[in-house]
Amino acid sequence: MQDRYQYLLLMASCLVITLPLEFVLRARVYRRWRQLVRALLPVLGIFLVWDWVGIVRGHWQYSDRYTTGILLPFGIPVEEFVFFVVVPICGVLTYEAVGTVLGRVRPAGRAGSEPGLGSAASSGFGGEVVDG
Amino acid sequence: MVEVPEYTVLAVASVLGVLLAERFWWRTGLLRTAQFWVAMGIVFFFQTLVDGWLTKLRAPIVIYNPAHLTGIRVPFDIPVEDYAFGFSMVSLTLVAWVRLGRRHESPAPERPR
Repeated sequence: MQDRYQYLLLMASCLVITLPLEFVLRARVYRRWRQLVRALLPVLGIFLVWDWVGIVRGHWQYSDRYTTGILLPFGIPVEEFVFFVVVPICGVLTYEAVGTVLGRVRPAGRAGSEPGLGSAASSGFGGEVVDG
Repeated sequence: MVEVPEYTVLAVASVLGVLLAERFWWRTGLLRTAQFWVAMGIVFFFQTLVDGWLTKLRAPIVIYNPAHLTGIRVPFDIPVEDYAFGFSMVSLTLVAWVRLGRRHESPAPERPR
């Protein structure tokens, strides 16, 4: 067992488990990859700084055994960078999948139609508009 | 002088920051939708599994300094602060996603001038 890949494997499993949401529940998140990348940037910026603060201030440290030991600038493990990409992606996939399901169960509602939805929910469905 | 559990403070501050920014700046209305809260419920369930694995004291991947936590670790060995951290991270992502989505999907605002 390659223990040092454990953190990365955990992240990979998150992507694998959520992948069906893209197709089965028509989340269409990866399909709008440009929007996804742009949505991830502020999160990555803020949370990498937070992670660095946590490391420097001694709030947390990472197991030598279960991580690869590959460090990014400022001593941030590569696994943490992966975490701040993967978990938000899973969150967006979940949000969009929920939007599909709520649109489906809503009476007399065509998925993607606006009326009756919370203003934010409407953008979640994506309709037929695809970015790139 | 009592030592401040810094992670606890940052975690709480991050949630307040997101709530205030949404209320007064982003104003997406996201936090008033069922879609958001149902999704967050699902996210928290899976966070419990993934974070539970990361933080289990038997073989931790992430090792926390007890001085900077409340010490409340439930369920499994998950520091309660992690849920605030997760909320901030995912809600910030979703706000950005929704804002960008609106810009893409509705180039012409319906609101009359």
